[in-house]
Amino acid sequence: MTTLTPGEWQAIWLTAKLAGLTTLILLIVSAPLAWWLAHSTSRLANPVAALVSLPLVLPPTVIGFYLLIVLGPQGAVGGTLEDLGLHHLAFSFWGILIGSVIYSMPFTVQPLREAFATIDSRLLDAAATLRAGALDRFFNLVLPLSRSGILTAVVITFAHTVGEFGVIAMLGGSIPGETRVVSIAIYDLTQALEYGAAHRLSAILLGFSFVTLLLFYAINQRVMSPLKPR
Amino acid sequence: MKIGTHWLSATAIALSTLTAVAHADTARVAAAADLRYAFSEIQPLFEKAHPDHKLELILGSSGKFMQQLENGAPFDIFFSADVNFPNKLVASGKAQAPVTTYAFGRIVLWSAKVDATQLTLKDLDKLEFRKIAIAAPDHAPYGARAKEALEHSGMWSKVQGKLVFGENISHTAQLIYKQAAEIGIIALSLAVNEALKSKAGYYLIPADFHQPLEQAYAVTSYGKNNAAAKAFARFMTTPEARQVMTRYGFVLPGETPQ
Amino acid sequence: MIEGNLTLTKGNFELQSGTFAFPAKGVSVLFGRSGCGKSTLLRAITGLDAGTRGHLSFKGQRWQDAAWHLPVPQRDIGFVFQDAALFPHLSVRGNLAFAARRVPSGRADDAIDSIASTASRVGVADLLDQSVTTLSGGQRQRVAIGRALLSRPRLLCMDEPLSALDWRAKAELLALIDTLARETCIPVLFITHSPLEVERLADRVIFMADGRIERIDSLPDALARPDSPLFDEEGPVSVLQGSLQASDEPGLAAFGNDTLRLRLSLAAGATPSATRLRVLARDVSLDTVQPQCVSILNQLPITITALHNTGQDRVTVVCHLADGQPLMAEITRYSCQALALTRGMRAFALIKSVALME
Repeated sequence: MTTLTPGEWQAIWLTAKLAGLTTLILLIVSAPLAWWLAHSTSRLANPVAALVSLPLVLPPTVIGFYLLIVLGPQGAVGGTLEDLGLHHLAFSFWGILIGSVIYSMPFTVQPLREAFATIDSRLLDAAATLRAGALDRFFNLVLPLSRSGILTAVVITFAHTVGEFGVIAMLGGSIPGETRVVSIAIYDLTQALEYGAAHRLSAILLGFSFVTLLLFYAINQRVMSPLKPR
Repeated sequence: MKIGTHWLSATAIALSTLTAVAHADTARVAAAADLRYAFSEIQPLFEKAHPDHKLELILGSSGKFMQQLENGAPFDIFFSADVNFPNKLVASGKAQAPVTTYAFGRIVLWSAKVDATQLTLKDLDKLEFRKIAIAAPDHAPYGARAKEALEHSGMWSKVQGKLVFGENISHTAQLIYKQAAEIGIIALSLAVNEALKSKAGYYLIPADFHQPLEQAYAVTSYGKNNAAAKAFARFMTTPEARQVMTRYGFVLPGETPQ
Repeated sequence: MIEGNLTLTKGNFELQSGTFAFPAKGVSVLFGRSGCGKSTLLRAITGLDAGTRGHLSFKGQRWQDAAWHLPVPQRDIGFVFQDAALFPHLSVRGNLAFAARRVPSGRADDAIDSIASTASRVGVADLLDQSVTTLSGGQRQRVAIGRALLSRPRLLCMDEPLSALDWRAKAELLALIDTLARETCIPVLFITHSPLEVERLADRVIFMADGRIERIDSLPDALARPDSPLFDEEGPVSVLQGSLQASDEPGLAAFGNDTLRLRLSLAAGATPSATRLRVLARDVSLDTVQPQCVSILNQLPITITALHNTGQDRVTVVCHLADGQPLMAEITRYSCQALALTRGMRAFALIKSVALME
């Protein structure tokens, strides 16, 4: 196994950090949203669902472009931060974190929403009669019954963020240690004609993605079988 | 792979990135892509001469860097391939005067398939050249000059349909290297690098075919207090640095072109 | 008392119960055709649907008032669904523990205590560590009942709990529910469209149609109308309440109370705690004088309280036994005229066959 340079390790660590934080934030944000989407009869439900799914069809460069404007020093968010004496968010880790959260949100919301929607409402009714309040029902009934959906959401969100390129290319500026994630690093390396390094990083990414999906399918089988209908 | 030492270095880097504070003695250099090989030699020379300073090199097209700097990108110093970009930044207050010219660049015709030393621009409409790569003229100075040279030689309209555009001059070189395009126009400073030279030679396009590639730098307002950025700018005037630049085909200010 | 007046719209269906009141004691059965609103009313009383409007109080405690309602977890209601609604990710023990863990402290009830004893009570003691997805329908309902009981409810609601079971499981569960209702003294609200289940369990019947409560009758009153919705092609049915008595007649058992005594030939293994006897009106004949030399086992003195013409040539005679319980007889009009039967007349009822409801 050939050795990795400090720069390559830095890119790997940065990518892991970005994907990990994105997944964590999205789980927390998406759970209530997915629950609402699964059960709401409001007329707002469809527009909200469309908005959440937008990153699925938009070119990542479009997302990155708009975020650059909004998070940059003249933007609604970035400008306000600057006025408060803080730093704007373009070309920073926090900026690409926000970009990743938006870009990967449909991959968290979708599996969670499906998992929540397939829970028999009578189980929730039964739990209510057994004196379980809303949060109690959510943590002790909904989450255990959604194990498969949660696992899917975590794995797909993480892997999707690892593979992100377009948004970060627009928004990141390829700053080492801040925004130069593995996908960007590979791109830079190919431009520098450093194909050996590019191969190394690409192979790592490929291997990681494959192993992740393999584990995911194996675990999913075991998680799902006790819950299969008789 | 020595897991132990690499884990240690990974942790060290992780810890240092967690703080996410740019060390005062580190300068982030936004450098035009044609400076890639020249700077890869100059950087260790600089860091040896100034052990308490470090450089982080980010390479790309000058036009893109100008846009990013207009939007507040955190670069300390900007080495552009076209003096117009730093001028605009100084005008909008995003960079500090003075804008200093550091070199004049040259463009060449180069191919990874055939030996370009015997070719001229007039050969570009030959059928064997199905795709011709240049850098994107609207934001890469080397691309703009390539377009001017093609227009000057009357070839622009003939080869327009065969053109493919690289995002910057380095990307353009890559397209030709991998033979996605059979031939193209790149920077002299790239073509003299071993990796490309060993593939094939180049044809130096006459300087009067295009506007001069006046390459200039400016310290950005982000980096106005950055000691390393200023030290690097001074280092570029030392004989050590000038020697490297000349070897890569750059014409230094005050010298005569080939 | 359970009293109120509830409305709820679910999809195309509108429940408008009208004002109702009935005692919070014993087993009250919601009876009616499919689609008449029984489940909707039960859910409205339980508070499971946010669109419920109106008012409702249980034993004096306000549960619903216009748009305000007491949340379900605070109503102390146990609910048994048609398909048990067991939590599939938990074992039997896990399901029971879910209920037991959420009982507020200070709720003592001698009849229902630990998971183990409740499990034996409902007959699932040896299934405790099994996953609920491997249980049969009958076993699942037993766990569901046990789980509802473990939450120490003040009201037990059951939405057609036996409909999805095969006949053997149905019979066993019916006996279990009957026993539990008597032993725990928790009022039960039970939905069924089976007259047999009504006759077995009910103390009173709440008749529903088209989203409304039509009438609330005690069981004897509900059965005393020849046109009662509880009767099907078997014709009118009477349910006699009593208990099994000691008998010294060989091959026969006795059923009744102080003033009533019926004989039945006993199949082996009759439940000693059976308290109801089912008699079809068409199995009852009338004799205006004391019958002599008749093979029929049961000959009871009755008083005729009403005569109803049913159909072309039939008369349903509503009688009362010595202890006041109603008994119906179905005879031909010809016989009725021939015997000159009138209201108030004393006569004898000959009951050809009885069925012990066990």
